[in-house]
Amino acid sequence: MRCNHKFLIVKLFSAVCLALGGLSSVASAAEQVPPWQNAEHDNKDTPLHDPMLLYNAGGLDGKVAVIGLPSMKTYRHIDVGVDLHEVVYGGSPAGNKNGTPDGKYLYVNDKGANTIGEINLQTGMLERLIALPFPFGVHHIALSADGKYLFGTGEYTGKMSKTEIATGKTQVIDWGPAPSAPDYLDVGKKGKYVFAGNYYHSTVGVFSANPFKFIKEIPVGKNPHGVDVIPEGTLAIVSDKLSATMTVIDIDKLAVKKVIPTCAGPLHSVMDVYDADGGTYEPGKDSPEGLTSKYAYESCFVADANVKIDLKKLEVVDEIPTHYRTGHIAISADNKYVIALNKFSTGLFSPTGVVYPVNFEMWDAREDSPTYGKTLKIIPVDGEPHNAKTIYAYQIKDWTMGQAEKGGLLKAGMMTPVIHPHHMAKSKRFFMPKSNERPGVRMVNGVKEIHVKAFSYGYIPRQIRVNKGDKVRIFVTNIDKAAGITKNPDVTMGFTIYGPYGLRTNLSAPRGVTAVTEFVADIAGEYAIFCQHFCGPLHLEMRGSFFVDDPTKEASNLDIGDYGKAQTLPGLVEEGQLTIAERVKSL
Amino acid sequence: MKKQNLKICVIAMASLVAVWAGSSASAAGKKRCTAQGVKVECPTQSDAVLERARESYGKEAMDMAHGKAGSTYGIAPFDYLTGVGKRTDKTTLTEGESGYGGSAGGGTGKTELWDRVKAPAKGEAIYDQWTNNWSPTFKETLVPGADPNQGKQWYYFYCIACHGWMLQGDGPVAIDLDPRPRTLVAGRYMNKKTNLELFTVIKGGGEAVSLSSSMPSWGNYLQDQDIWNVVAWIRAMQDVKSPRDLDEYLNPKSTFKPIAGDVNPLNAADNEDFMEAQELIEAEIAGRGEEMQGGKYVEGGLRERPQDVAKEVKLGN
Repeated sequence: MRCNHKFLIVKLFSAVCLALGGLSSVASAAEQVPPWQNAEHDNKDTPLHDPMLLYNAGGLDGKVAVIGLPSMKTYRHIDVGVDLHEVVYGGSPAGNKNGTPDGKYLYVNDKGANTIGEINLQTGMLERLIALPFPFGVHHIALSADGKYLFGTGEYTGKMSKTEIATGKTQVIDWGPAPSAPDYLDVGKKGKYVFAGNYYHSTVGVFSANPFKFIKEIPVGKNPHGVDVIPEGTLAIVSDKLSATMTVIDIDKLAVKKVIPTCAGPLHSVMDVYDADGGTYEPGKDSPEGLTSKYAYESCFVADANVKIDLKKLEVVDEIPTHYRTGHIAISADNKYVIALNKFSTGLFSPTGVVYPVNFEMWDAREDSPTYGKTLKIIPVDGEPHNAKTIYAYQIKDWTMGQAEKGGLLKAGMMTPVIHPHHMAKSKRFFMPKSNERPGVRMVNGVKEIHVKAFSYGYIPRQIRVNKGDKVRIFVTNIDKAAGITKNPDVTMGFTIYGPYGLRTNLSAPRGVTAVTEFVADIAGEYAIFCQHFCGPLHLEMRGSFFVDDPTKEASNLDIGDYGKAQTLPGLVEEGQLTIAERVKSL
Repeated sequence: MKKQNLKICVIAMASLVAVWAGSSASAAGKKRCTAQGVKVECPTQSDAVLERARESYGKEAMDMAHGKAGSTYGIAPFDYLTGVGKRTDKTTLTEGESGYGGSAGGGTGKTELWDRVKAPAKGEAIYDQWTNNWSPTFKETLVPGADPNQGKQWYYFYCIACHGWMLQGDGPVAIDLDPRPRTLVAGRYMNKKTNLELFTVIKGGGEAVSLSSSMPSWGNYLQDQDIWNVVAWIRAMQDVKSPRDLDEYLNPKSTFKPIAGDVNPLNAADNEDFMEAQELIEAEIAGRGEEMQGGKYVEGGLRERPQDVAKEVKLGN
């Protein structure tokens, strides 16, 4: 007893010391990156403090996950909505894909709900949710050079948007002709241009950032995926998904400079970034002027690899195997690690149910390291994460040990919202054994039953029409024996109707299973159906349309529908918690 | 196809209840297909062939998961520090390792070229990294202004799941569709279909020509010229049998003879039936409001205007 008591006192004492130490080192903490880092995989290094944090848009789990680098430990999840795609740090886009975070906010777009969420990095909570105008279908977002606007791609309508962050006011412009599907975008570093790929046009669209308008289209390879501007701001590199090439665009000339054969199924690129002195770029400490890069790393979905491209020579210099099917790709803020965001974990990990985890694989990008090119950590990940970006941990303060008492965490004189949107609601869901019902729409006991077959890569039927007010029951059956082209046997098909129906669908159908959802189709309009699982290289193209017709009006299309009502996204959050983006003519 | 018929068919797409054409057509042999107005047997594969194709495709996929067949999936061959288990040049699939072929029946049931013929020497054909496939490069076309080489690629991306790698109607999901997907190389049937019908069924889906709604509309995926290229690829493969040697594989001889007066990419804009069909289809498929007119040419993805295609790929006999 005494012994225990003594022990307790010792523990208390050391805890106080630690706390005091923590307080006194607040000022210098920002300058110090912990020296403990040992990247050699010896199964012993389990750091408790990470010098960097990776924020990822978790896809169909509707959450942003925070993962430590290089420990690759998941710290927490932040509720944002239905199906999250891109994360963008507030601040400025100077630098590489991680940008120059100011440590205040993180923006994330929800493709399932057509919203942009604003996460307060210091509270770690969702503070604002901007509902974009309908019809749109936001796929990805990018921050303007001045940090005041977010540009967005309207994948399901062939439109582009510019949203003022402070007010939510949004300008939407058309990018025709149909079929038109703007997907990934990036901004020119000097603030003049916005570049966006369009996988139906097979072009990169160039837009003027201010005033926001279409300038021209630059032809690239087949079905381009990622479009990424290098830190120097001189080149935009495009992953030509179906052409196995990278198209390099000269930003000054707005013309193709070179086409490099890279790998099968290239999807996205990240680059390293160095400050003007050639050292690691540390936002907030180093000037964002004169940033440079040496290598780009491109993910190759079909080839199960990441390729390394020398940005001076513009050629592939190395290929790193990944496990398996890399989609997005991230780089640590210190350029040391590349993180492959893999879409399949075929044969890896323990099963936890019918839906398998995807994984993040961190490989060593330090050329002088004995483990260069090797995988250092691979972790199963919930949801189906899309993009992820890194921030230095020093940009997020510790507010739990009294610092918040001094102020600065929350704005004085106001209530700071903490929003927790529903992830799935306003529907009844079921699983059943693989249905052999013919696809189509049938009325059964007053319910409109819709039988859909999902395969690589499409839905049967592709167009579904119901009437406003119909009670619908949607059966989605995965009829694949394996993923098309890549033949992964663990293919899970998704079914999400974006916008007001995102919450009520978001179905996952593994092989041999029919997923069912029941809801009332109470908002008229044309809403795209998409597969929220990255089921294969043509996953984005796996689309359909859900038309809800108002019998008192003409058949719904992109002009006819209850789009004002749709923007209120019933059921997602409590009334008054949504910032409705006002549509304006110009920004 | 008569203008009036087409109009009715396309309008039928708008009806709320999806039409499952020929609702009791489970037997593939029934004369429920028509070619130039005459009822003919539907060119589809037997269930036994389709079942086998599906199972062998599944077997190939599972072999991959278990690290067999030269693949690298699964925990067994995976060492995350060394990268062992990754497919390399040395472990690339070779002849006989692909599980999909097996004892193929009427259909090919094969996904990889090495199941069909030996890989050609370098320079003899393109190697499509994407589909992991060697395939012929066509020097001629049977549809003026359309390029079968470009069409072939779109076909591999979008059509193989149902219609199969060699257009035999034996894709791995074919057995789950009723009616079964057409064997697209059946000349006795396909050669009687006009370009307008083929173009319309691809762009607007089966319902646009009173066929199965299992054939989805592709008009939201593909531009008009892409669809023409797919038509040219199908035309180039009529009655092409399993090749006996490399030469036959690389130089398929099609039985298709162009139909007099038929629409093609070069004259489509002046063809009243064609233009009206496009208007009706585009009104029905999604992604278009009043401002978003479709089908127009957009340069990119190696796309060329029909007149440029016509200059590069000359017309065959």
